[in-house]
Amino acid sequence: MAERPEDLNLPNAVITRIIKEALPDGVNISKEARSAISRAASVFVLYATSCANNFAMKGKRKTLNASDVLSAMEEMEFQRFVTPLKEALEAYRREQKGKKEASEQKKKDKDKKTDAEEQDKSRDEDNEEDEERLEEEEQNEEEEVDN
Amino acid sequence: MAAAAGSGTPREEEGPSGEAAAPQPQAPTSVPGARLSRLPLARVKALVKADPDVTLAGQEAIFILARAAELFVETIAKDAYCCAQQGKRKTLQRRDLDNAIEAVDEFAFLEDLSIPFPDITVS
Repeated sequence: MAERPEDLNLPNAVITRIIKEALPDGVNISKEARSAISRAASVFVLYATSCANNFAMKGKRKTLNASDVLSAMEEMEFQRFVTPLKEALEAYRREQKGKKEASEQKKKDKDKKTDAEEQDKSRDEDNEEDEERLEEEEQNEEEEVDN
Repeated sequence: MAAAAGSGTPREEEGPSGEAAAPQPQAPTSVPGARLSRLPLARVKALVKADPDVTLAGQEAIFILARAAELFVETIAKDAYCCAQQGKRKTLQRRDLDNAIEAVDEFAFLEDLSIPFPDITVS
C-alpha cells in the first residue's frame, strides 16, 4: 500500500463537518481555508505523536499509550484538551470493555455447546468400553466354572 | 452475567472506521455525545506510523490522537472565525487562518503552513 504524503490527509468531508459544527449557522468556509485546516490537523497529529513518543521513550516503553498523548497535550500547551480527552478515553474504554465482554460471552456459549456435544460423544464411548469389559468378565467366569 | 451496557448497537468487532480511500462521514450514533471519534482511526494510525521514531502505538493512543485532532480543528476554526467576524465576513478565508496562527501561541508549530505538506518519506 503506497502511502503518499497526500494520503496522510484526513478525509475532507469529516474535516468540513467538524468545522461547520464548530461555527455558527450560516458561516461558510473557503476551500483553501478548509484545506489548510486539514493540513494543520495532520501536522498537529504528527507533532503530538512526536511529543508523545518522547514521553514513551522517557518511560523506556516502545509503545505509545494514552497517557503519553495526554502528557504531549500539556507539553504542547493544549491543556484545555486534557479533560475532554480523558472523558473520551473513559467512554472509549467502557465501549471496548463492553465489546470484549460480548465477544467473550459469545465464545463461552460456543464452547459450552461444543463441550456438551463432546460429553455426549465420550459418554457413548465409555458405555461401549463398559460393555466390552462386562462381556470379558462373563467369559472369564464361564471358563473358571468349567475348570 | 455481563449485560451489554455499552452505548449504541453492538455492530462489527472493529471499532468505528472509515478505512476505505473514499472519505466516509460517520453516522451519528443514537446517544448524543456518544460519538467517540469521527476521524477514521486508520488514517490517524497511518500518520503516527509515518514518524520513523515511533515503534508501536496502542489503540487507545490512536483514539486519543484522533479525538485531539478533532478538538484541534474545532479550536482553530473558532479562532479563525473570530478574525473573519472582525472583517464582517461570513466566509472563513485562508488569511483568517493565518492570522489565527500568528495570534495564538499554541499554534506556533503551524507557522509554516504555506509550505506544501511536509516532506514525509514513508519507508
